[in-house]
Amino acid sequence: MARFRSLPAPHPIALALLALAASGACGRQTPAPAAPPAPRELVSSIRAEPRGFNRYTGRDSVTETITHLTQARLVRIDRRTQELEPWLAESWSASPNGLEWTLKLRQGVTFSDGQPFTSADVLFSFRAVYDPGVASPIGEAMRVGGKPLAVTAPDPSTVVIRFPSPFGPGIRLLDNLPILARHKLEAALDSGTFAEAWSGSTPVSDIVGLGPFVIERYEPGQRLVFARNPRYWRWDESGKRLPALDRLTLEIVPDQNAELLRLQAGQIDFTQTEVRPEDYATLKAAADAGRITLVDLGVGLDADSFWINLRPGANQARPWLHRVELRRAIAHAVDRQAFADTVFLGAATPVDGALITPGNSRWYATDLPRHPYDPAAAAALLESIGLVDRDGDGVREDGHGADASFTVLTMKGNSLLERGAAFVRDALGAIGLRVDVAPLEVGALIDRIERGDYEAVYFRFLTTDLDPALNMDLWLSSGGAHVWNPLQRTPATDWEREIDRLMHQQAATLDHAKRKALFDQVQRIFAEHVPVLQFAAPRIYVALSTRVANATPALLRPAVVLWNPDRLDVREGKRASR
Amino acid sequence: MRHVSARAIGIGLLVLLCAVALAAPVLAPNDPGTSFRDRAFAPPMLPRIVAADGSWHAPFVYPLRLADRLEQRYEEDRSRRLPLSFFACGRFVCLEDERDGPWLPLGADAAGRDVLARLLFGARTSLGLALAASLAAILLGVAAGSIAGYAGGPADEILMRVAEFALVLPAVYVVLALRSVLPLVLTPWTTFSLMTGIFALVGWPWVARAVRGTIAAEASRDYAVAARSLGAGPARVLFVHLLPACRNLVATHAVLLVPGFVLSEATLSYLGLGFPDTVPSWGSMLQDAANVNVLSRFPWMLLPAAAIFLVTLAVNLSLGRQARPVPAPAQIAAGGDPAAGRIGA
Amino acid sequence: MRGYLARRVLFAAMLVFLVSSAAMLLTHLAPGDFVSITTGERASPAQAAQERARYGLDRPIVLQYLGWLSRAVRLDLGDSLLYRRPVGTLVRERAANTALLALAALALATLAGLPAGVYSGSRQGAGASVVRGVSLVLLSLPSLVTSLVLVLVAARTGWFPVGGMVSASSTGASLAGWWADVAWHLPLPALALALPLAATLERLQSQAMADALGQPFVLAAVARGVPRRRVVWRHALRASLSPVASVYGYVLAALLSGSFIVEVVTSWPGLGRLLYDALRARDVYLVAGCAAAGSLFLAMGSLVSDLALAWADPRMRRG
Repeated sequence: MARFRSLPAPHPIALALLALAASGACGRQTPAPAAPPAPRELVSSIRAEPRGFNRYTGRDSVTETITHLTQARLVRIDRRTQELEPWLAESWSASPNGLEWTLKLRQGVTFSDGQPFTSADVLFSFRAVYDPGVASPIGEAMRVGGKPLAVTAPDPSTVVIRFPSPFGPGIRLLDNLPILARHKLEAALDSGTFAEAWSGSTPVSDIVGLGPFVIERYEPGQRLVFARNPRYWRWDESGKRLPALDRLTLEIVPDQNAELLRLQAGQIDFTQTEVRPEDYATLKAAADAGRITLVDLGVGLDADSFWINLRPGANQARPWLHRVELRRAIAHAVDRQAFADTVFLGAATPVDGALITPGNSRWYATDLPRHPYDPAAAAALLESIGLVDRDGDGVREDGHGADASFTVLTMKGNSLLERGAAFVRDALGAIGLRVDVAPLEVGALIDRIERGDYEAVYFRFLTTDLDPALNMDLWLSSGGAHVWNPLQRTPATDWEREIDRLMHQQAATLDHAKRKALFDQVQRIFAEHVPVLQFAAPRIYVALSTRVANATPALLRPAVVLWNPDRLDVREGKRASR
Repeated sequence: MRHVSARAIGIGLLVLLCAVALAAPVLAPNDPGTSFRDRAFAPPMLPRIVAADGSWHAPFVYPLRLADRLEQRYEEDRSRRLPLSFFACGRFVCLEDERDGPWLPLGADAAGRDVLARLLFGARTSLGLALAASLAAILLGVAAGSIAGYAGGPADEILMRVAEFALVLPAVYVVLALRSVLPLVLTPWTTFSLMTGIFALVGWPWVARAVRGTIAAEASRDYAVAARSLGAGPARVLFVHLLPACRNLVATHAVLLVPGFVLSEATLSYLGLGFPDTVPSWGSMLQDAANVNVLSRFPWMLLPAAAIFLVTLAVNLSLGRQARPVPAPAQIAAGGDPAAGRIGA
Repeated sequence: MRGYLARRVLFAAMLVFLVSSAAMLLTHLAPGDFVSITTGERASPAQAAQERARYGLDRPIVLQYLGWLSRAVRLDLGDSLLYRRPVGTLVRERAANTALLALAALALATLAGLPAGVYSGSRQGAGASVVRGVSLVLLSLPSLVTSLVLVLVAARTGWFPVGGMVSASSTGASLAGWWADVAWHLPLPALALALPLAATLERLQSQAMADALGQPFVLAAVARGVPRRRVVWRHALRASLSPVASVYGYVLAALLSGSFIVEVVTSWPGLGRLLYDALRARDVYLVAGCAAAGSLFLAMGSLVSDLALAWADPRMRRG
């Protein structure tokens, strides 16, 4: 626990002095005019402080991003192609029933502190992720049907993984699991202090890994500096040891405007934040002037979502809120092109599907029932459930004469969400539904969603994985992220029961084409019953300075650029320090 | 003579601003809540009387065309003139022919809403809120400050410590906790009253502390001592003799509080205790302008700051004492500065 | 005097206790808790319950509060839930940065605001009107916009770094180099904080100056033939300092508690940013720690203010 008094903490200036002495000792920072090759350095930014350096206990996106730099996994999913790549495991084979996978580990790999990497580290990582005391946020993603994988290690370079039941994505789920150094963390796990290990006050030299970088310095509130891991195990085609960069700095810049200005001024090379529609024009001008590169990644993975609370206890005074006709009417009432133009200033594509946007091309279903903009059809649907404007005031009434009105919650401070909610409100007002928008501070909003204390919500989810079988808690009626009616004991409706069945089936299928066909059916049922409505998915742009070479930006957040950090480089001729 | 006329200007300006706020529905060419498609960040369409070719006409505007949606670039169509008509459409002035889109005299915001309409309607919210809240804060502050300053001793101590407590407990905590017990959708009127209350609680300690200082200093002066020894009660001494000495100080605080409250409204609405976007306010409009791209490319989004400046200026002129030059010796010989007599009264 | 100081110190302790307790309890009352906000819908209810148990958030509020209190009296403010570091360390780290910024801003604001106020309060004409107008403009701009404009200017001209407190390269530099680098980063956030403050001080000083110049002793001095400059800067100035002195401590305290907006926009690692993050994540211990620091600063500020008042106006000296 904290010791406020007994151990006087050094003054920040004193700390800086210590760091100075340390760096002076090894001459790391002194600009050496005699040595011609300038260090290859890039600077990026993060918007928040890291909450720690242990992905097994940190849920925040900064911790996840840092993990891509300092740690490595057994296998990796190429974020652009969705293909599985050998990583710490150089090859693997599966038993015919797909239940048992034998992974051959790379030989001669060492952690950044020089300790060899063996199968014991893999076993330890699995032990940590399943430890009930750790309650790891990635533990859920490492289970199949709620059951852990059984892992054994016949020898130091072989790992055998047994799945409890057939699992379509197979070992793709291993991409979630950074392999930890047993020799550094076993004592903490044994003594029950794993959750506190590798926090912000851990000396950075203690944080070792198999990733391309090691943390050189953490200056709280200001920056994280990463140095190349000299023991990294990858080489490029020309036989040069990776990573290409000597140093990578993550500046902590909480404000997006400041981040943008620093990017334009050339003080940072790229950000982890997606470009706001409002900022596109400025960046376009900078790109035209040759200062930055603006990469168009196409349609994003996440569209803003609107849903009505369908929990059985909710909205009892207004049963019409549970009717599918209402949701279809709303789907018909919103002009999606106008929505994309107004809310996203045109930097969006209209979507009308089942949570999967065209950005997820591997799983997107093209032939779903659609809801074209048609206010007359919307009005007819509302009339069919007894919502008629009886007193001629422009607002429909239900059978009891009460106004057809409800409240939509959204997040305060996010201009896209606030504009979107206002657009939906105006569109529904035009078909005679009175909607109040209540923008809430984020904590209050999540609290209400969790307790089910709301009528409707307009919010954005972040897609964490492209494979539907790794998003089961969203699709299954028993799932926690099945937002409109989560954690059901038994499916409340027949169509949810059917989706449950299809999802279980597709998760247990090994053949991709069959899985896709099953998931298409899920999307079709979803699009018919529209428990969640989406209107437009933003186009995603990434801005990089022209100094950056070999960047491979991809849609999946949070590590849009940094998911593939070892080949990142400084463009030849642009290496001179700024 | 000079400061009397400045005061008249100030009062006139304030009255004018209030009148504009009241007449907003007539003066605004559009509804403040309507989002016009294809008009996000549209530039101002100022009325012209001289056409591009130099010819003179009745007031008109050139139609606007969206040139690039992603970059929010617009072009004026100089080939056609759209005449403005006065007192025709139930409003003071409007466009006769709206087929080419609405008339946005001061441009549009990110959602394509009329900035002028939002400014005019926002005056009702912001002006009303700031004036009511400043008045409440000043009344509270003057009451607490004069009691503390006059009574001294334990009353002084307690009141000043309460003031410090009120200051250091940022409204943020109170508002967050308060928000959770209030209903989800508040009427604008409830929001207005709540905000006034919160602002009064936040603002009074500053006034109280300044007033206390002045009262305590004045209470020991000859005229106050004389008044007391002549048998004047504490209330009489306070109201008749001491409080007038605080007049200018209080006026200055009003000048500081009014713009402060207009701007703070946006902070409160960030915590969920704000007006819905259909009820515009200057504070939240400025909040929307806080984006580098907006600041450098759409300067009309900063117009609410100009409006707040006008209000502050009006308050300053109508309440504040103007600068007083050091009197020349000759002036003193001729009977002194007439305004100087008040303090010694 | 000693009794007076003792009373003030006692009160300061009480203020710190009350405010941090209130901050903690009110944050508890706010909707959502640390676990629900940081995990969102991504955690199963069982997992969420486990996390709550780990942080002790499953106990009744009263017990949590008493537990915190029993440690707080021993000056152990607990561990931040968000950063898993001792609150005391976090707060001290940031408070030092904020103090540096606050003192710079206060110095700037005083050096600009007071002379401007003396000038505009003692003169008529265009110059005084311009000063007054600039003040009113600065008061009409939200600090979000002022600081953004400053950052924008810095980015466009390259005169100052676009935010931050010290460059990455300065950690290896000499101590003088480190301070020079900080000094190069300081003007931007300090100016963002100082501008509205200078306007406030100008308004207060201007009015007080005008009041003072109407007092008989000024007339007497003028009649004695004391030069104008001396009347203004010597006689009237000291008599007019009390309104500014009376709020000076509050201003200092408000600055020391950190300005969230300026710190965020200029990426200054200060207390305001820490408090905001803590509040958003409902990190009750960190909120309480920041509130304790803020109230400590206020108690100090108000003491400084009272002493300044007593210096400016001897009649204010009370036992």
